[in-house]
Amino acid sequence: MIEIRDIDVAYGGAQVLHGVNVTLNQGEMVFIVGRNGAGKTTLLKTAAGLLEPSDGKITFNGAEIQGTPAEKLALRGIRFVAQEKRVFSSLTVRSNIELAAYAAGVDVNKAIEKVLSLYPKLDEFMDRKAGSLSGGQREILLIGRGIVGDPAVLLIDEPTEGLAPVVINDIFRILSYMKEKVSSLIVEQNLSVVCKLADRVYVMKEGKVTHTFTRSDLVGGTKELERHL
Amino acid sequence: MKTLADKSTLNSGVTSRSMVPLELAVIAVGFVLVAIFMRVHWTTNFMIFCMLVLSYDLLYGYMGHLSFGHMLYFGAGAYAAGLWLVRINMSCLQAILAGVLCSALIAAVLGCIVVRTRGATFALINMAFNEIGYFVVYSALRDYTHGEDGLSCAGAPVLGMIDPYDEYHAFGFVLVLLLAVFWFMRRLTSSPYGILIRSIKENEKRVSFLGYNTSAFRWLTFVIASSLAGLAGAVFAVVQGFVSPMAISSFGNVEIIFAVLIGGAGNLYGALIGGVIFMVIKNFLPVIIPGAQKLVDFTLPQWELWLGIVLLIIVFALREGVVGFCAAKLSAIRAGRTSEGI
Repeated sequence: MIEIRDIDVAYGGAQVLHGVNVTLNQGEMVFIVGRNGAGKTTLLKTAAGLLEPSDGKITFNGAEIQGTPAEKLALRGIRFVAQEKRVFSSLTVRSNIELAAYAAGVDVNKAIEKVLSLYPKLDEFMDRKAGSLSGGQREILLIGRGIVGDPAVLLIDEPTEGLAPVVINDIFRILSYMKEKVSSLIVEQNLSVVCKLADRVYVMKEGKVTHTFTRSDLVGGTKELERHL
Repeated sequence: MKTLADKSTLNSGVTSRSMVPLELAVIAVGFVLVAIFMRVHWTTNFMIFCMLVLSYDLLYGYMGHLSFGHMLYFGAGAYAAGLWLVRINMSCLQAILAGVLCSALIAAVLGCIVVRTRGATFALINMAFNEIGYFVVYSALRDYTHGEDGLSCAGAPVLGMIDPYDEYHAFGFVLVLLLAVFWFMRRLTSSPYGILIRSIKENEKRVSFLGYNTSAFRWLTFVIASSLAGLAGAVFAVVQGFVSPMAISSFGNVEIIFAVLIGGAGNLYGALIGGVIFMVIKNFLPVIIPGAQKLVDFTLPQWELWLGIVLLIIVFALREGVVGFCAAKLSAIRAGRTSEGI
């Protein structure tokens, strides 16, 4: 599905990614872990079309996509759910979903139903400004908005960052629900979530993938992952 | 069976659309009252200015693009309509259409350049084009526009019965056009397109994550806002029967921005209220200040200085504009009532 091969990415003169290789196959949920500054978000942004690699290539179903703008990738089915839980705060929750529905050419009511199927409680907030939602509700709205129109791939940046444990459980439940429905490449710091959901995990350090773990490597829990961070 | 989502979506749509005729009636009554308490031809000018402010609100209030060059499109519309009346024929409706098309065409071409920029660059590049437009009508096309002398342009009655130089006819004609612009803007801003441009204002990058080509929508909004400014300019030329380079002067941009800020950006009522308040201040101060001068021994500053002070007070005291201020007060009162109920 998505093949990231030997990509180098630099911000000005500072190289951030060095020959990174990552694969996401159809139906997989793949995680990228690593300490701050390891280049996880840069990798995700590059896959989403927000950054152009200086070397290497990214293919989506066989076609090269590196350097393709984010809006074109979104139309081809690669959606990016950014960090910091920034919804369109001056719009209502409904309008946030409508915006995604129009872009995807999906009926608004069906889109709303789809988001509510992830988290029915959101219906209570439908006519409220999205800016008034809690951090967890915003993340759920962002993920919900991301799956409107059944994208092929979802790229999610730190979905549980800064959330209370009880909300992390909601996000975990939503990601579990999505696992069978959409291929996802997720940057995540919470290793227990990673271990429970991942089909494969890439550990990044200083702009390089240093280790790869498969599902069978993770059955023992988070210790092995922690050791390699 | 309808789900909750179906029910709430339908309700919100029906409510907003059913309110539009009521809104139009309230606006019409409001301007009739303004005309009763003030002069009719002043109110006609107020309404043309409100049309211009509404067009600017689409660009700035809704999409968040501050421009110092909106008068270019007002002036282009005014001159195109005036030249149509002088050189082609005396049909006011055709002249207005020519004005709108001229502004739309200029905006469509210049829009390809200006939408590549953002923030201060967007504001200033528009001002640069506005200045070029000013000097084009002032000197380069002097043979046609009559430069600083201005262009006198008389039109025939609209549909054979509405005389644009009769103040009551002109008032009715401009009121109908203003209501049409308001209705169009209401439809536009409450449509999916309206949601999109408001989200561009908030975070353009994130809109592109959803698959939208934001540059295309920014260009489209620029062209629509400029065409509406052209409409206001063309109506101004038809009703006044005269166009001078002041109609395209970039100084006018400050007045539009002030009007939007006074009323409250991103709100159609705000544009109307801000437009009227600004015009009332601008028209009354030159009358009040000389009157006050007779009562005091020292020389009072020019009325423009007082205008600046009054506007600064309004803008600083009412950060969200008059409409935003009133809305905040209303919700505070409602919140108070709710807590009393508890």
